[in-house]
Amino acid sequence: MTFEKKRAQTSQEIPTASMPDIIFMLLLFFMVTTTLREVEVLVDYKLPEAKALEKIENKRLISYIWIGKGGKIQIDDSIVKLEDVQEIMYKKRQALPNLIVSLRIDVGVDMGLVTDIQQELRKAYCLRINYSANVKV
Amino acid sequence: MLKKRRSKEATIPTSSMADIAFLLLLFFLVATTIDVDTGIGLTLPEYVEDPEQIEVPKDRMAAILINENGEVLLDGKPISIFQIKNTLKPRIQSKIDLPKKKKLIVSIKTDRKTVYNAYIQALDQVKLAFFEVRDEYALAKYGKKYKDLEKEQQKDVKNAIPIIISLAEPEKVK
Repeated sequence: MTFEKKRAQTSQEIPTASMPDIIFMLLLFFMVTTTLREVEVLVDYKLPEAKALEKIENKRLISYIWIGKGGKIQIDDSIVKLEDVQEIMYKKRQALPNLIVSLRIDVGVDMGLVTDIQQELRKAYCLRINYSANVKV
Repeated sequence: MLKKRRSKEATIPTSSMADIAFLLLLFFLVATTIDVDTGIGLTLPEYVEDPEQIEVPKDRMAAILINENGEVLLDGKPISIFQIKNTLKPRIQSKIDLPKKKKLIVSIKTDRKTVYNAYIQALDQVKLAFFEVRDEYALAKYGKKYKDLEKEQQKDVKNAIPIIISLAEPEKVK
């Protein structure tokens, strides 16, 4: 007895012509959502953990200040002195009036330094701040 | 003539197109950081040379003091950081119906040697207390949590329970 192979009449290929289109769509999504890391962080820091967190909606408005272990202050790409903070931040605020300053401060830093920075920010009229923190599980 | 041309199909090979797109996709997948910035928001007061001393009635103030060892005083009484929330909540709630000028002010003061983490933990507790009171108020009035409310309703809740946190002016001599 011989078996005859059953073959469908239609072609058995999966149409792959639209594959690039689908992938391009995915690609576009990621291109739009990506924010490449622009600055290299030079200080060593560990963020505190908290529960009452808010998300910052608009990433373009954020300007970061890092304070690492040992009290090193970094703005943008360089380590700065405390005295320079006011001037730098004032210029930033002039360029972007509704600036949000995100403070990424190491857990072990003394409050004295943090207060000093805050005073400088107040003098520079950067009044919206955000203490960066991770979600406590 | 026409028949001949039809048989000779001139096509660009597009099968590798997907691979190229995949490569690009992979690059962006790897380079993407989806971490959303989260943190505790605060608005600093404007800088004034000589801040005026305004007397605030004692029942309006909740003064939190944190010393260099991370020990906390709330209105002069020692308290653990994790009790701050539950101690503040009834005090915030008792002032919901009062006019804006009589709402609770929470003042946080630290020593210069206090560790940043202790300050954030305390601030977190204070914020949590306010958020929970807001949620409860929203649930009671609108049957929804604060974040699910309409803009107008949120405004109303915000007016009833404003978050007023005062960071004490740092002392000059120390």
